[in-house]
Amino acid sequence: MNIENTQSQMRKGILEFCILSVIRRGEAYPSDIVEEMKRANLNILEGTLYPLLTRLKNADMLTYRWVESNSGPPRKYFCLTPKGEAFYGELEATWNELANAVNALTNKTLGVGDAPAN
Amino acid sequence: MKKIININFHGRVVPIEESAYEILQQYIDSLRRYFANEEGRDEIINDIENRFAELFSECLKKGGSCVTDADVNTIITSMGRPEDFEQDELMGAATNGGSSGTAGSANTSSAGAGTGGQQSSNKEQGYYTAEEPRRLYRSENDKILGGVCAGLANYMRLDPAIVRIIFALITFGGFGLGFLLYIILWIAVPPRSLVANVRKRLYRNPDDRVIAGVASGLAAYFHIDVWIPRLIFALPLILGIATSIFRNIWWDFHRGPAFITGGFGGTLFITYIILWIVLPEAFGASEKLEMRGEKVDLESIKNTIKSDLENFKGRAKDMGDEMKGRFQQVGKDMKQSTSNFSSEAGPVVRSAGQGIGHAIGVLFKAFFLFIAGCIAFGLIMALIGLIFSGAGALTFKNYILTGFWQNFLAWASFFLFLVIPVIALLTWLIRRIIGVRSRNHYLGYTFASLWVIGLFCFIGLVGTVVNNYRARQHVEEDIKLSLPSHGKLLIRGDRSKISYYDNDGWFDYTWEHKGMLTNLNEDSMTLNTVRVSLVKSPDSDYHVQLAKFSRGRNASEAKNLAEQIVFTVRQADSVLYLPPGFTVNREQRFRNQQVLVTVAIPIGSRIFVDRSIDQFHWFNIEFDRRHFRWNNRRWNDDWNDDGPEDSDWGNSYPWTSNAEYIMTNDGLTRANKKAETREEEDKKPDPSTNNGGYRYRPHNNKEKDSAPPKKGRDTAAVKTTAMLHSFADGNIYILPTIFD
Repeated sequence: MNIENTQSQMRKGILEFCILSVIRRGEAYPSDIVEEMKRANLNILEGTLYPLLTRLKNADMLTYRWVESNSGPPRKYFCLTPKGEAFYGELEATWNELANAVNALTNKTLGVGDAPAN
Repeated sequence: MKKIININFHGRVVPIEESAYEILQQYIDSLRRYFANEEGRDEIINDIENRFAELFSECLKKGGSCVTDADVNTIITSMGRPEDFEQDELMGAATNGGSSGTAGSANTSSAGAGTGGQQSSNKEQGYYTAEEPRRLYRSENDKILGGVCAGLANYMRLDPAIVRIIFALITFGGFGLGFLLYIILWIAVPPRSLVANVRKRLYRNPDDRVIAGVASGLAAYFHIDVWIPRLIFALPLILGIATSIFRNIWWDFHRGPAFITGGFGGTLFITYIILWIVLPEAFGASEKLEMRGEKVDLESIKNTIKSDLENFKGRAKDMGDEMKGRFQQVGKDMKQSTSNFSSEAGPVVRSAGQGIGHAIGVLFKAFFLFIAGCIAFGLIMALIGLIFSGAGALTFKNYILTGFWQNFLAWASFFLFLVIPVIALLTWLIRRIIGVRSRNHYLGYTFASLWVIGLFCFIGLVGTVVNNYRARQHVEEDIKLSLPSHGKLLIRGDRSKISYYDNDGWFDYTWEHKGMLTNLNEDSMTLNTVRVSLVKSPDSDYHVQLAKFSRGRNASEAKNLAEQIVFTVRQADSVLYLPPGFTVNREQRFRNQQVLVTVAIPIGSRIFVDRSIDQFHWFNIEFDRRHFRWNNRRWNDDWNDDGPEDSDWGNSYPWTSNAEYIMTNDGLTRANKKAETREEEDKKPDPSTNNGGYRYRPHNNKEKDSAPPKKGRDTAAVKTTAMLHSFADGNIYILPTIFD
């Protein structure tokens, strides 16, 4: 049983949700998103981010606009579409369910063991 | 000290170290491969490049004068290498890693540095690292049919073009074995997006060319001197031409091993033509480097360009080059349209069903191509055969065709109808193999229209030639015979009587009893379309009648030509000598001239036809409104076609040579049956008659057949046998015994 595999599976599951929540908070461009996620201790490669963003955009969850900047090439600023909002809503509900379930399960097992929980 | 170049990167001029630029190039290439099947590939790569540009300008702003290796590596690390990208299962399974081959250094450099621990966790994604064992795949991105050859080439580190050519040769030479092998590989080998890992590809070298640069391209590929492949191509051809010249002038000159001078020279010539059509010219600097197998990087590209410029100044581009370039484009275009078709048809078939549907689609496509290949192969063989028998065919042609128009049509239809489709098919097929893209369709249209013109020419030619043979006339000539001293007549061929114009020139051809022509040269040809037919004489004398036939454009011409046939029959007591043939000279042309010798035998007399008559070879062209045919039968078959009318004396009887016959009331009978078996062994078996030649009593039902008859005839036969045995040489004739 490969733990790294399982770990990466767990990450992959929530990546989309996290990205959508960052964008939901406000217009953002890719390296901004990476920064935010780093601040939240969720490290992601930019190379992982770009394809995801493009796929979401192709699925009409996101839309973008170009913003010129004097210090470099123009940047894409992404924001959620209504469809993306709905998508996000459902993901949020799913996440809450999962989180509650996992918490309930892990707390129960902790209780059985000998180490004190708090 | 490093070299710095300026690049135009997304609208900005960026000074960057040369080595850093190469690292960047490789990274972007690896991205391209990784996202090969991704829908938004271009956009993703564009975004990533944009990010690079942004970071570059930050680097520069920080005070650096240029972008360095370290900068690029840092950026790549933070961006992540393709194998580290976390993708969901769909994407991962589809592309399955494009990082085989020369994708730059693999995970090793990104392991330590980077943004946290997920790098190592991503190593186990199932992406292929550089240390994987080499396995055979089909290539997804460099495919003509199914990418089998390209995958094979990748596995063996060869130029895909070479593998394709080899495969094609195996297929056509092994009667479809290669075809089957290809199908099996297509189905069995898994596909994968492969990168071309050959730095060396076979091109033509346009800078150093005598005819087309084929030899110098080969020389560059193999790193040998240019004159070596030139010699290889030229030598057998020159030898072959030289020795065939000698052979025709001095009859006894023995050629060198026919393998070298005959076939090999021709084969290499054809090979040169094929390579000329197939191999692309190394136009750009990078292609020229690939041709030599040198490392394609900035340094060598620049050197090549510099030397190119110097060469170019000394060379003037002429019409021929431009034309060829255009034709090449056209050929590439044709290739493009067919590959478009196949790439459209392919996905449709694949989506129809995974395993079997896929296989069936493969089979159809490959089958169609195989048929086309077979046709092309057959035409090529026919054309080569025609070319190499050209001299003889040329001479013969002059005997059939009359006038300017027919000759013109003949040449036009030969080139347009035969040669062009062969060239077109060759070009198409081999361009498909090599994988050249084409952009416009001119070549295809040109070939097609030329071929249609050739078709019309051919039809016109056939029409006019047929016209020359329309009428048929004959003249008759009776020959008086004195009664042979012993009631038996011997018919024999006379070797000494033929006269033909002979000059030891280029175009003499002599066959040995092989057909109706015994001699063919510029001025005349000798025909032996003679037929001897035996009939019953209405009186008690022998008669010989000559009927000379000829065809022509109209009746008077036919009759004229018939009269011009010279066929002198000579009698020396009991022997009737027939000349071995007759001459037709060039003005008369070949109009299926025939001579029918009808010998009428009185009842009770004998006839013996010598084996030398076997040399006559009857040839008859017939056609009426419904069909056209010619027949080439042996002269003693029982024929019932609407050929020359039977003689006035009734139907003729079939007979075989070297056998004695007696004319009875009901027809020809074998003179003796005991001697039959002896004679039968000498004869060649005649396939068109049944019973092995025993058909000498066709209308007779009075006599018994196979059982040796025990009647009065038989005793006479015994006597006959005895007498024959005593005169073994067959030239002495027995006393006649009159039978009924």
